[in-house]
Amino acid sequence: MAFDYSNYLRMEKMPTLWCWGCGDGVILKAVIRAIDKMGWKQDDVCVVSGIGCSGRFSSYVDFNTIHTTHGRTVAYATGVKLANPDKHVICVAGDGDALAIGGNHTIHGCRRNIDLNMIVINNFIYGLTNSQTSPTTPRGMWTVSQKAGNIDPTFNACDLALGAGASFVGRETVIDPKKLERLLVKGFSHKGFSFMEVLSNCHINLGRKNKMASAMENLDWIDSITMGKMKFEKLEEKDKMNFLPTGVLKEDNESKEYCEMYKEIQDVHQGKRAKITQNDFDKKI
Amino acid sequence: MTTREMISTGNELAALAAIDAGCKFFGGYPLTPSSEIMHSLSDMLPEVGGVAIQMEDEIASVCSVIGAAMSGKRALTATSGPGLSLKAENLGLAQMAEVPIVCIDVMRGGPSTGLPTRVAQGDVSQAKHPSHGDYKSITICAGSLAECYTQTARAFNLADRFMQPVFVLLDETLGHMHGRAVIPTAEQTYNEIKGRKQFDGKPEEYFPYGVAQDEPAILNTMFKGYRYHFTGLHHDKHGFPTEEMNTCKLLIERLFNKVEAHEDELEAYEEYMLEDADVMIVAYGSVSLAVKEAIRHLRKENIKVGLFRPITLWPSPAIKIKEYTDKIPKILCVELNMGQYFHEIQRVSSRLDIEGLFKVNGRPISPHEIVDKVKEL
Amino acid sequence: MSLLKAPVDTPVWIDLSRCKACDICVSVCPAGVLSMRQEPSSTLGAIIDIVHPESCIGCTDCELHCPDFAIHVADKKQDGFIFAKITSEAEERAIAIKKNNYKLPQNYDK
Repeated sequence: MAFDYSNYLRMEKMPTLWCWGCGDGVILKAVIRAIDKMGWKQDDVCVVSGIGCSGRFSSYVDFNTIHTTHGRTVAYATGVKLANPDKHVICVAGDGDALAIGGNHTIHGCRRNIDLNMIVINNFIYGLTNSQTSPTTPRGMWTVSQKAGNIDPTFNACDLALGAGASFVGRETVIDPKKLERLLVKGFSHKGFSFMEVLSNCHINLGRKNKMASAMENLDWIDSITMGKMKFEKLEEKDKMNFLPTGVLKEDNESKEYCEMYKEIQDVHQGKRAKITQNDFDKKI
Repeated sequence: MTTREMISTGNELAALAAIDAGCKFFGGYPLTPSSEIMHSLSDMLPEVGGVAIQMEDEIASVCSVIGAAMSGKRALTATSGPGLSLKAENLGLAQMAEVPIVCIDVMRGGPSTGLPTRVAQGDVSQAKHPSHGDYKSITICAGSLAECYTQTARAFNLADRFMQPVFVLLDETLGHMHGRAVIPTAEQTYNEIKGRKQFDGKPEEYFPYGVAQDEPAILNTMFKGYRYHFTGLHHDKHGFPTEEMNTCKLLIERLFNKVEAHEDELEAYEEYMLEDADVMIVAYGSVSLAVKEAIRHLRKENIKVGLFRPITLWPSPAIKIKEYTDKIPKILCVELNMGQYFHEIQRVSSRLDIEGLFKVNGRPISPHEIVDKVKEL
Repeated sequence: MSLLKAPVDTPVWIDLSRCKACDICVSVCPAGVLSMRQEPSSTLGAIIDIVHPESCIGCTDCELHCPDFAIHVADKKQDGFIFAKITSEAEERAIAIKKNNYKLPQNYDK
């Protein structure tokens, strides 16, 4: 294969600051391959990242990049996208960034169905700041903010996105980079809010005190808690809570995308069409 | 004709100024008494091909505005005291990354929920230090209906000139006051637009933050062939994060110096009947209207009073203020807060005998109250 | 898509300056091509080594799974490389390497 990533990287920033074996690097490569497959020009792409290890993503790629404050990726990206609706905007945020402090913005990005590509890198912990509990850290695991064992119940990120109304929801892991690349291509192609959760390994922080201190052990654990969605559907209800289905979980190409709907508002105010009414929508509430 | 006469409210005039000054993006959240700015822009912006969006909260509002500004558009948000508090962290990022935005604060009774529908001037200190860390603020205050228009238009040019957020303080009285204003025409405002500097050389030779120590960053519009990085971390000339000692020192110093070295471009104030004054009143915003009326009363009784009205509050017109405080025997600060600019006057003048008339119950100060206070001095 | 040109007659090659010795490529290689070796100058004391390039089947799992751009596999089309087929000997060696903490056991094959 020998894919040449250097055109898409800021080579002067290499090597990455990520730990040895960190899934972030695998995701970085998959995103680049997906963008390459999409044929997008580098000048037309904006990558917005949050705070955390995943947040450093944006400084490595040679696009228009923004490193925002904690949790606000979707809000910044909404401004960039609405002001430049024909450009491609990708958000990269961690599980804490997207689901804890940024939860509200993630929910509303999904609700609005604005054409953003949101990649949530879920490594089940706050990695950069050394092992605090995140909304996805499994209960009973050791974290530095709950050394007696984590008692916090967890979010299912994709369920949250589905509940908030995202029109494209998918999940993959770093264990199969080719599948991940295919999911990213599907999400990038989708016109509307694409929510893509990528399960990743943080063996240095989550793994070290939870019996998976090597990359492979952590990856094996991720493998053990995921399964393809077809197989997942066949599970008994009581077993489902211990697995995360992978694949495209929702793909709705009917719902109108926000920037397109905003063009209608511009048309109303420019006298090109009548006011928008309830009749413009199938879903009335 | 370079002027026109309008009958409108302060909020609507501010919104109109944004449109005429080329603003193409507004992100906001309903917050009394600033909501009318959002309502007006939600009609006016799409008409000119711009975007006005009501975001899910105050923080998302300012973030979307900063994002749009990062991409190259003139962008505005409008809020009041509580919203400004919420926006603090991201205003810091805009300052650090040198992103030009305009933030209108229509001040209301505070702190906390305070008096949502009543007037105050309680955000003057907050506008000086809206975020953590060291912050060199540019804050201007409209003192009349017409200034709600002219100062908002001026704010966009200042933001692009100095590449940082500019705060425009209105207050509930001005925001909701309906009256006559003589303002520049749309064409006049358009002709005065001075956009941000752009680099037009080779992309390999472009260093957005590699500028002289008294200059702001040069941030090219996105998607045009110049790709660079925005971050709130300390950064080098490329915009990439760094912790290098000297780079960090020079960066913060430049964020201050780019303003301090050019304060003459920022200074704006009004001197009203100060030539022979024995009493100088310092006031700004809607209070200055009552002060002027009070001065007219007092002058009829031969009490020589004048008004110094700062229009650019921060950085303060220190040299001018000191010129007056060095020679005028009595100084009175009249504010709708507990003395937030009073402290600045004390600092600049080095005088401990500055008097204050402070009102914090959400009601405007009437000319009579000011007349009575001056007579007491 | 632009590809790196493979060195002559080389199925897989590495960029030592990028390797962080995470062991992942060694553990995903099905054909026992890769092993870690001791390297005192590396942070973790080890670095990647290509021990049996002739067994490489061109599955590209190592390149896909490497987080650090440290390992590349020749392209069938562009480089015209003809990869080996998997043998049970190669598979057994791969398992032995994994069992031995990702290092080719000393005296293996002797």
